[in-house]
Amino acid sequence: MPEIPKVDPNDPYSVDIEKRLQDIQAGMHQRDLDLYLASRIRTMSFVLDAFVPWRTFMVIPAEGLPTVFTFVIDSARLLSETWLDEDHVRGYFGASGADQIEVIQYFIQDELGLDKGRIGYETGMSTYTAEGWMTHYEYQRFRDALPDFEFINAHDIVDRASIIKDEGTINRFREAGRIVDAGHKAAREAIENGGWKGMTETELAGIAALAMRREGSVSEWNFAGLNEISSGWRTGLGACTPPTTKEFAAGEALMFDLHAMFKLALGDHSHNYLIAPASKRQRWHADNFVACVQFVIDSYKAGATPGDLITECGRFAEERGCSDFILPGVEHGIGLFGDEWRVGASMDVPIPYWTDPDHVYQENEMVILAMQYAAPEDGVGFRYENPIVIKKDGCELTSKFPLAIEEIE
Amino acid sequence: MTRFVYLSPEWTEEGRRRVEAKLTPETLHHVTSSMTNLYRNCPDGKDRYFHVAFEDGKLVGFETGEGEGPKAEFRIIADYSTFAQITRGELGAVKALTSRKLTLRGNMAKALRLAPLVDKLNKVLATIPTEF
Repeated sequence: MPEIPKVDPNDPYSVDIEKRLQDIQAGMHQRDLDLYLASRIRTMSFVLDAFVPWRTFMVIPAEGLPTVFTFVIDSARLLSETWLDEDHVRGYFGASGADQIEVIQYFIQDELGLDKGRIGYETGMSTYTAEGWMTHYEYQRFRDALPDFEFINAHDIVDRASIIKDEGTINRFREAGRIVDAGHKAAREAIENGGWKGMTETELAGIAALAMRREGSVSEWNFAGLNEISSGWRTGLGACTPPTTKEFAAGEALMFDLHAMFKLALGDHSHNYLIAPASKRQRWHADNFVACVQFVIDSYKAGATPGDLITECGRFAEERGCSDFILPGVEHGIGLFGDEWRVGASMDVPIPYWTDPDHVYQENEMVILAMQYAAPEDGVGFRYENPIVIKKDGCELTSKFPLAIEEIE
Repeated sequence: MTRFVYLSPEWTEEGRRRVEAKLTPETLHHVTSSMTNLYRNCPDGKDRYFHVAFEDGKLVGFETGEGEGPKAEFRIIADYSTFAQITRGELGAVKALTSRKLTLRGNMAKALRLAPLVDKLNKVLATIPTEF
């Protein structure tokens, strides 16, 4: 049997896998679950501490170690990166008794010796395509294969266990933030002194990616075009801008939203520029944006709620006369790879599967402080994103790139 | 030439002798594993099994009989006719698996890794003059 890795006091990135598993199994005990059948990427990242890109299921028993079932082509690679041993990292493939349903059915029946009981599983909805909820087809197949089991939606067990980050996880985010800053530095150097002339959004995305890879990033993990780069009128479109072959032009805004991954922690920082000559209207928008972001940064602390923050930010923007340009929301959730949407863990929220407006932030919780400013009629927009650590009296920005909107010659 | 009835005690004894002679621990990379093949619908209407086990590459189990057989790390289940087709080289094992003629239970990733060793075992067993 493999040993659950202990926290190594000499390794700043060491995480407490044992506590994670204990917390999940304690949650299972409270719900009287015999098994937890995980399918979400975030759950794999949290328990396996390894990158799991293919459709994967993980069976967590009420006691003992989990066993993971991934697409067989990737099982050896996963085995080499996770802490579990060969008996607990398995593959599935398209063969009789070996597909992702039957292999788990037989494992539960033959190896765990269970013919009936209660299985927690993960279903719901998300804005994030790759969330990994169990599909309707998978659910029906599992129900047919395990007819004497009761299936209970229990994803909030993992959501609650993962909401407060341990020191190793926070350090990983700090390192991911440092890497993203290196990407922004390279991007800044690439566009200054007329370097922007003839450059496209896709080219800038690659320059930043190379810089971040050189610093140790293993993925521009974002699903919306990896590094999101926009320029000119595209900056005013909203909060999703996969890069295009559009060339940068004088008098336009630039928005660089860079993504890096370090040990499953997600770096995500957006920075904005204006290419000279900037109009007075552009400068007014830019100053509004910077002020609103700074206001939100100053407002985050333990005890705050998403509902309060958005209300206060709206009031601040109203006072500046720019509330029409602020898209609703000042954050989105963040965790290890696969965990990047709603804030909070409760299933009992006003709009199911959306951020709980009454969620009370706690110390060492993390979110992405996110603000999108869009003035499409002026052909300009800005975005801010930065993973932050909630502190008792404030918050820590993991990306240190200075908040500003410079005018680039 | 003597021909052995498939899965008979004589075939089993001949199989054990040939496997011990041909497959050394080095040939088998000192594998420790076990496999039970379940033969459904044998010509006499019964179910039979073939069980083989290795420890550190040394043969420690080789038996056939009626019923489900001993527990093993891997269980392979198919009709007698399917196993016979595979043994005679008329049907590939992968095709049998992917066409649902043969069912494999156990750690699939490990099974794929051990597949070349199973091939070696099957090649030795295929040398037995067999009457199906």
